[in-house]
Amino acid sequence: MNILLTGGSANGKSTYAESICVRLPGPRYYIAAMRPYGSESQKKIERHRIMRADKGFETFERYTDLKGLVLPEKGTVLLECMCNLTANEMFDDLGNMRDPSSDIIEGIENLKKQSRDLIVVTNDVGGDIYGYSDSTMEYMRILGKLNAYLAKDFDTVIEVVAGIPLPVKGEII
Amino acid sequence: MILIIGSEASGKRTYAKSLGYKESDMAKAVIDDRPVIYALHELVQKDIENAPALLDELIKKEVVICNEVGSGVIPINKEDRLGREATGRLCVQLAMRAEKVVRMVSGIPNVIKG
Repeated sequence: MNILLTGGSANGKSTYAESICVRLPGPRYYIAAMRPYGSESQKKIERHRIMRADKGFETFERYTDLKGLVLPEKGTVLLECMCNLTANEMFDDLGNMRDPSSDIIEGIENLKKQSRDLIVVTNDVGGDIYGYSDSTMEYMRILGKLNAYLAKDFDTVIEVVAGIPLPVKGEII
Repeated sequence: MILIIGSEASGKRTYAKSLGYKESDMAKAVIDDRPVIYALHELVQKDIENAPALLDELIKKEVVICNEVGSGVIPINKEDRLGREATGRLCVQLAMRAEKVVRMVSGIPNVIKG
């Protein structure tokens, strides 16, 4: 089964995602897309590591190129998150921008092939004021379209609000 | 305690009034005798570090009203990022302890817990 989890920042998406994964059979793989830039990201990464400890995940730090990722076995895969993955694929260190949509979709297809169950975490970055820079607006559009693509393709879409899972498509699991 | 969440101007206080509370029952302060606290996200933003410590007082209220602030692009300003994060985490804790959680969408109350 493929599940897309959406919701605002700090709403408990990861906690809920992990609670789904531990109910599913192993092996469990965690694909971490957040780059450890600066102390805030490092704190976040550390917080997530502590949350995941003892839940039986093998972690793969993969900031880009999901197309080329080879997992040891077929298992339960948690990808966190589309927001970081899209930003990493879209902008390089020099500030150059490209549309990475087709690479990302191929990357997700690659994960699907290697997953019994795939859980993907994303965020509704479009729910915001208008008038950001062109590149940020482009990022919002690209991620929005990717979310829509995944939501159409996946069996289940759940929005997590204040830690409470709400069905958007399919049943809450 | 009833937690009412939703985006800016989504009808949260109007909904609280439909439960029988008056404007004079509502305060924008934690330490206050009035049964309803509103704009919790603003209080969190003013003192981000102490936000988790508000939990014990907040669960004694009859109604807690807070904006949902986690959607959209990650703010450029560090204080805004941290405040947004602290508000979300506090709402998760409040929702766990609330008897009822109501999420307002365009003025429509959705009971998402209780």
